[in-house]
Amino acid sequence: MSINPMNSTPIRSETSGLKTDTLFLNMGPQHPSTHGVLRLGLTISGEVIVEAMPDIGYLHRGVEKLLETRTYAQGVVLADRLDYCSAMSNDLAFCLSVEKLLGAQVPKRAQVLRVIMAELNRIASHLIFFGTYGIDIGAFTPFLYAFREREMVLDLFEMCCGARLTYNYIRPGGVASDINADWIARCREFLDFFKPRLDEYDTLLSFNPIFLVRTQTVGIITPKTAVAWGLSGPNLRASGVNYDVRQAEPYCGYEQYDFTVALGKTGSCWDRYFCRVVEMRQSVRIVEQALSRLASGEIMAKLPKVLRLPAGEAYSHIEASRGDLGVYIVSDGGLAPYRLHFRAPCFINLAILQEILVGKKVADVIAVLGSLDIVLGEVDR
Amino acid sequence: MTREKVLSDILAQVPGASAAAAPVKDYPTVRLSQPSDLPTAARLLKDELGFDYLEMVTAVDWLGPTKTEGFLPAVTPIPFAAKAPALPVTPAAGPDIAYRPVLDLLWSFGNLKTHLKVFLRLEVSREKPEVPSLTGLFPAADWQERETFDLFGVRFSGHPNLTKILTPDFLQGHPLLKDYVHQPDEFDAD
Repeated sequence: MSINPMNSTPIRSETSGLKTDTLFLNMGPQHPSTHGVLRLGLTISGEVIVEAMPDIGYLHRGVEKLLETRTYAQGVVLADRLDYCSAMSNDLAFCLSVEKLLGAQVPKRAQVLRVIMAELNRIASHLIFFGTYGIDIGAFTPFLYAFREREMVLDLFEMCCGARLTYNYIRPGGVASDINADWIARCREFLDFFKPRLDEYDTLLSFNPIFLVRTQTVGIITPKTAVAWGLSGPNLRASGVNYDVRQAEPYCGYEQYDFTVALGKTGSCWDRYFCRVVEMRQSVRIVEQALSRLASGEIMAKLPKVLRLPAGEAYSHIEASRGDLGVYIVSDGGLAPYRLHFRAPCFINLAILQEILVGKKVADVIAVLGSLDIVLGEVDR
Repeated sequence: MTREKVLSDILAQVPGASAAAAPVKDYPTVRLSQPSDLPTAARLLKDELGFDYLEMVTAVDWLGPTKTEGFLPAVTPIPFAAKAPALPVTPAAGPDIAYRPVLDLLWSFGNLKTHLKVFLRLEVSREKPEVPSLTGLFPAADWQERETFDLFGVRFSGHPNLTKILTPDFLQGHPLLKDYVHQPDEFDAD
């Protein structure tokens, strides 16, 4: 156990002669730093947190229940709306699970297109994190840069599927529409524009002394704690645990791409932040490789228009922007899934807050919460 | 260590465990015979086989399909053909599916080194669903067990804070149970 200089014990009342008491502090659900509707019930003693109780469910839409009465084609639309910052990943996880139970083979070109879209969406999603985390800590400018670049990714998505946030682009069997030479040129243009921007981000925020002080020794999660609480994605890798579904259980041909998995050293807020910045670089590499191996061919498998899955159960998971997103699907042979469960990475990542916030200062709550990068749409489902 | 080895290790060391008749596709799936075997199996997985990553806790209610009246419009195989008969939304129970009044609980454990995954399942009665909590072994079970309690009503004995988590406080019942009655509203399909 390392000694955290930011932790301190409350002043004892016996020696000072003052009467002290703990205070219950409500943070949220309408608080700009909670990135949605999350309520944190904080019991504080002076500046130090004694107990933290995250309260969720404000955005619960009962997606899993809804899906039991929707066809598989309609299911993609609902899956989109879980983690709305990286809807492509949700579509992908849902479709992979449906295809696995169906035993469908996805054409090569569709697989490459899926990789391109998922990685571009990862960049867009991490850019939101980069921008909003800066704001959480008190740096407003990076947000403007991040959203300028994100806009370009969203324009690319709009070009290929017409939507900017909830795409419904990846469908069971393949993808909805093909891309043309113009799109590829625009995508390469974006990648060339984006690569030097990443260096700019490092000078702007990553190695900014104030930012370093606010994040480098704060919210440390040891590898053991991270695994015990089931963290996944950049939050797990920032603690130095090398687990990336893209390499552990490759899907969509990820084993053919050359990329490294970003690992942190200490598991601090800064490590979690920097893992995401490095991941953006790796995503650029993957998209470049994917664009170069895009061969002509079908984009959709020959499947019936109305899908009816054989009775059985399947589980498939992917490395979404925020972690290990799994879809467990049970079919009884009907038009709708009998039961469908999302292993939502944000939901599981958020639970650790009740352990790691204890002993921290109130001012660090935002830094720790922001570094976990949650999307409440997925936490509450 | 291979999938078969993991499966045989668990079957040999956990009393009453058997390979599940209907496994999760492509993954080793073990069916436990009674709730008291769960901590034994989880401890074996964690301490001896290296499955220290609790990935998922969830459940399935096997009572029967949700009634889709009001939810799902009739689907025809050829959308623009006038006379095409609508497909039945839910099939009659076939030989593969046995609807029965049980809750089927599911745990998924991962090994981050060998990248293997194993599923444990356990049937409990719908009337009094109760199983031991795994929060002592895996803190990750904390919220996922609360979720399963909230949506299915499964009581995890030994859980330090088994309260509702996703649904609002005023909501009574457990919405993912299959006997949940749908209240018709203006958003229903015709």
